Amino acid sequence: MEFTVNKSDLVRELNLSQGVVEKKTTIPILSNVLVEAEGDRLTLTATDLELGIRCSCPAEVKRPGAGTLPAKRLLDYVRLLPEAPIQVKFMENHWANLVCGRSRTRLAGMSRESYPELPEMPEPLAEIPMGLLASLISKTIFAISAEESRFTLNGALLLLRPGKLTMVATDGHRLALSEDAMDEGPSDAQTYRALLPKKAMSELLKLSQELSPDVKVQFSGNENHLFFRAGDRLLLSRKLTGNFPDYERVLPAEQPHRITLARDEFRSTIERVSQFSDERSHAVRLQFLPGEIRLHSSLSDTGETEENLPVEYEGPKVEVGFNAQYIADFLRAVGESSVYLSFRDAASAGEFRPGGDSEKGAYRYVVMPMRL
Amino acid sequence: MKTIFHVDMDAFFVSVERLFDPSLIGKPVVVGGQPNERGVVSAASYEARKYGVHSAMPLRTAYKLCPQATFVNGRPERYRDCSKDVFRVLGRFSPRVEMASIDEAYLEMTGTQRLHGRPLAAAHALHEAVRRETRLNCSIGIAASRLVAKVSSDQAKPNGILLVLPGQEAAFLGPLDVRRIPGVGKVTEKNLHALGIRKVGDLARLDEDFLEEKFGKWGLALAGKSRGLDAGGWYDAEIGEAEDPKSISHEHTFGEDTADVEALEPLLARLTEMVARRLREHGLFARTVQLKLRYSDFSTYTRAHTLDHATQVDTELLAEVRSLFHRNWTGRPVRLLGVHAGALEHSEGQMSLLEQDKSDRWRKALTAIDRLRDKYGESSVSLAAGMKGRFRERTHENPAGLPGKGPKPDQEL
Repeated sequence: MEFTVNKSDLVRELNLSQGVVEKKTTIPILSNVLVEAEGDRLTLTATDLELGIRCSCPAEVKRPGAGTLPAKRLLDYVRLLPEAPIQVKFMENHWANLVCGRSRTRLAGMSRESYPELPEMPEPLAEIPMGLLASLISKTIFAISAEESRFTLNGALLLLRPGKLTMVATDGHRLALSEDAMDEGPSDAQTYRALLPKKAMSELLKLSQELSPDVKVQFSGNENHLFFRAGDRLLLSRKLTGNFPDYERVLPAEQPHRITLARDEFRSTIERVSQFSDERSHAVRLQFLPGEIRLHSSLSDTGETEENLPVEYEGPKVEVGFNAQYIADFLRAVGESSVYLSFRDAASAGEFRPGGDSEKGAYRYVVMPMRL
Repeated sequence: MKTIFHVDMDAFFVSVERLFDPSLIGKPVVVGGQPNERGVVSAASYEARKYGVHSAMPLRTAYKLCPQATFVNGRPERYRDCSKDVFRVLGRFSPRVEMASIDEAYLEMTGTQRLHGRPLAAAHALHEAVRRETRLNCSIGIAASRLVAKVSSDQAKPNGILLVLPGQEAAFLGPLDVRRIPGVGKVTEKNLHALGIRKVGDLARLDEDFLEEKFGKWGLALAGKSRGLDAGGWYDAEIGEAEDPKSISHEHTFGEDTADVEALEPLLARLTEMVARRLREHGLFARTVQLKLRYSDFSTYTRAHTLDHATQVDTELLAEVRSLFHRNWTGRPVRLLGVHAGALEHSEGQMSLLEQDKSDRWRKALTAIDRLRDKYGESSVSLAAGMKGRFRERTHENPAGLPGKGPKPDQEL
């Protein structure tokens, strides 16, 4: 195999594969990126067997073929090369010669024979605008559980319904649901459900930064995998197995109290008050009083702080403990400049939503309080 | 000037056994199990001690030393009941009583003169009340510090009262072996002997700096102790202001090593139940659980897991313990299993969005179960999973981890 590729093209595409390449080298070949040259394109493939990415860029192919090279070393080196074409030639012994400007490099590769085959993408089920997909992901990804033993919560539930795409994530303490209208949905009236792992979601976010929000992402799934194709790039992920909890059961119905808050003011208050909350639990007390919320936190050997926020509230005095981190997560993700909080009492879930009436989509964030 | 009593029951377990079986009176008795069993001596009567039998000694060794002794299984619930009876009597003499273990207590007697008379008179009254109401003998040490009170009750044994006058502490402690200082165990004793320090008086004469250099912070505490001060760790606290435990754990050695899941799992369940019960007793919630696994060759592994919320519910802890066990057990025969709860907190903290109802229901049920256990004994109710894991609880008059019982991180009882 022999080809010439632009340095910047190669760096951009290699960058996308870095998050996918196996970090623990239990299977050495998975630290490598599969390089295939054919026609006038170069295709790069990386996988850790859970997640796979295939992307391509233009190249001048002298002799088609395929080989694998260590992904991290290749990128670390190529990144430092001058902006110039790079000539790559693979040898019989799977080594590659790289020539760029005055640099000549030999890099040890491995045969492509042992590189795993990625599954083929089936017929697309829907076309999702990249911007919409990225927005749903960033509004839910932080609520995914980090607890590995709760594997059904290690990703988000993806629900594809005619005209609507929904994502739901929970770690068992809070739940984020984001949905948006979509023109191109599945043609039949059936709902498509799948669990999308967190890692795939963060790689999709990374991919979205390379693309215009209007780019249509073709989405599809088979028995074990989910596929996202944006132009020449294909990201595929193994589905999470198991049953996602019945999230509709925990979405609060009518709540007796509702308070509107200015996002930025609330966020900076929460951040200040949480400086004196326990490092592990991030517990802060929110006291709802007529006309104000009083926020308080204390650390026995360090200090304490209190702040009040004037709000429109005429209900009874209620004191609720919350994890400040959970509240801050939502305030960082929400786009609107005002939000509202609805709640019942100290032992029931509170709900945050963006302020204003968003006709198109919905964003609901349900947080269980703490017992302090 | 404070007045502190240290009340120590004389050969507690043996005395309790003799209440139930008077034929044991005057004979050598070993509490802890049968001579052919694994495990150690919990307590030995004075008659058996003459042959060299002492607590923590393997039962088989005890049998070799004193084959004519009567070996009885420990009956922890009996001892706990008697201990509670003693505690009730003590409570009449001072509002501030701290049970340091099942068979000893500290009483803050400062300022009780008008009520109970002078210290010696009060001690006699107390001694008599305990004997009358529980039919058990105790020894009482009286001093201005906890430490000296403890050492003096030891010197008063058996069935005596000893008052160390304020100002006489150094003279009282000086001629005693260093080992008599609470907290000095085999290791420290050996290290001190290596420095030529044999008596408490030798220690008191040393420079604090020298001791700190040799033994660190513990050296400073040692220097203080040798002068009769309540120095170091637990001794700094007020009586009755018991600190919360840092962790709670239970472990058990199988009678015979086993690789049978049908035996291992029930024991894990049983140990977890015991840990959770104690968590609830203390009003604490655990954030980490740890599994201890010892194989036949004595190789020992501990594996911990941090939960995503703090809990005191048996089933929630057990799920983690089981998963730790199955991830780490190699399938080889197991000698010992232990369950440990740490990172203890006073409140439940984060509530669950998905399973709070279940958790609350369990807690209500467990509260009811705890009440049944209080009334009918520990084994009256148990998780089905733990039924086959029941074992005879071993008890120690001298639980490790308490002052004077040698250093150990956990408080175990």
